[in-house]
Amino acid sequence: MNRERYAWATASLLLPLLVWEALPRLLPLPRGARLFFATPSEIAVALVGLLRGGELQQHFTVSALEFLIGLGLSVAVGLPLGVLLGRVRWLDDLFDPFVTALNATPRIVWLPLLMLWFGIGVWSKVMIVFLGAVFPLLVNTYEGVRNADPVLVNVVRSFGGSEWQVARMVVLPGALPYVVAGLRLAIGRAILGVVVGEFFGASRGLGYMIAAAASSYRADVMFAGVLVLMALSLALTFSVKAVEARLTRWRPDAAESF
Amino acid sequence: MARRRLVLGGFSVVAFFLAWEVLLSLVRWDPFFMTKPSLIAKAVQEQILGGRLWHDMTVSAQAFVVGFGLAVLVGIPVGLVMGWRRRAEWALDPLLTALYASPLIALAPLLIITAGVGIAAKALLVFLLAVFPFIFNTYAGVRCTDPLLVNVVRSFGGTERDLYTKVILPGVVPYIVAAARLAIGRGLVGILVGEFYAASEGLGFAISRFGDTYRLPEMFAGILVLAVVAVGLTSAVRRLEAVVAPWRTGQR
Repeated sequence: MNRERYAWATASLLLPLLVWEALPRLLPLPRGARLFFATPSEIAVALVGLLRGGELQQHFTVSALEFLIGLGLSVAVGLPLGVLLGRVRWLDDLFDPFVTALNATPRIVWLPLLMLWFGIGVWSKVMIVFLGAVFPLLVNTYEGVRNADPVLVNVVRSFGGSEWQVARMVVLPGALPYVVAGLRLAIGRAILGVVVGEFFGASRGLGYMIAAAASSYRADVMFAGVLVLMALSLALTFSVKAVEARLTRWRPDAAESF
Repeated sequence: MARRRLVLGGFSVVAFFLAWEVLLSLVRWDPFFMTKPSLIAKAVQEQILGGRLWHDMTVSAQAFVVGFGLAVLVGIPVGLVMGWRRRAEWALDPLLTALYASPLIALAPLLIITAGVGIAAKALLVFLLAVFPFIFNTYAGVRCTDPLLVNVVRSFGGTERDLYTKVILPGVVPYIVAAARLAIGRGLVGILVGEFYAASEGLGFAISRFGDTYRLPEMFAGILVLAVVAVGLTSAVRRLEAVVAPWRTGQR
């Protein structure tokens, strides 16, 4: 039974690739369509070429830098703020309208303003990554802190524990699974920020590479860039998911909420 | 308690805009890079009275509605089949999970270059981003169907069709509403990116054009309009969620 499952999965992954590869050989495409088309084999060749020339590594380094600084900043701001808003009622009341409004609005809308303020270099992308990633972290940390078991909190208090001990022994460990779930969402938003930020007014980075390849009709290079991005975000997402699964082993099987 | 939250929240919003206004009235500032709330308010008023913002909004709304509608029409049946048919699940789950986890926004340049700067490319982008929440939430909803109810329908001689209309679909509704909330956010990203990239009209185009021409009050007006739309849509769906699935309201 399990073997059949793998067979279906493999077939569904391979079949589209085969059709994609074979189609232009069987049906001659019109010249116009050829411009936007690259078969998997052509994409693989382009990918090897980009790696050999060192071009891909260059773009990757820039994108990775933007991603890491932005995500690091959002962790540094989102986690403490989430804990604070989760524990201090009046601060939560004060900040709530801003958090709700900013969280509901796609953060990409700030990109033109950020480019005005921070220029077309690395920093406008760092800021858009930060804006995208900080809210899932903040909101999830907040929820995790709010859901701290009041019985456990009272136990620590009854035994004369300080507010700091309550945080360290009950609130923070309980919030950890929420934080990791927030991190998984934040990674997705951060990659979105890097790519979209680099589409507009950049001269380096994977997003730039994709946009530049698309506008010069180099479909093979463009797909190679998309492929690299997909591989990176899959690897990141699934490693965080693995951590998440370990941390939430005790939880009953809940429906996944993305 | 709820009243205190409202009062403090309202106070902080007013205080924020007041502080912004007062601060910029006191210091000299470069109008190319900064603006004041009073100027933004004036820009909003002008845009609403006679500007192009309404037109831009309807253009964006069209692409959004087409793409979102398509996502609903495709996503729900795919999710149903995946949840109810084991082989469909085996075949589709790995492929669709991989696509859901990847940054499909990276395909935006290709879509716009192939499908043109009109509505089609943006609708396609919205569809591509919004379809996955519908697929996976419907799928999860079907998986959570109570087997007891299924057995009851079968015991009383119900057909496969009865199962769908009497048990599966009603059970899936709250999951679909939750999916809509996620899909709205993703769809708005699709519209914005599409219109930033290449467009001649639309809200995203307006915002990026105002930014390019250093017309900050107008740009903030556009951002404000988008924020109002996004908050409005999200809270409407949240309210709907509270009606169809009152036990889920605590979740964000």
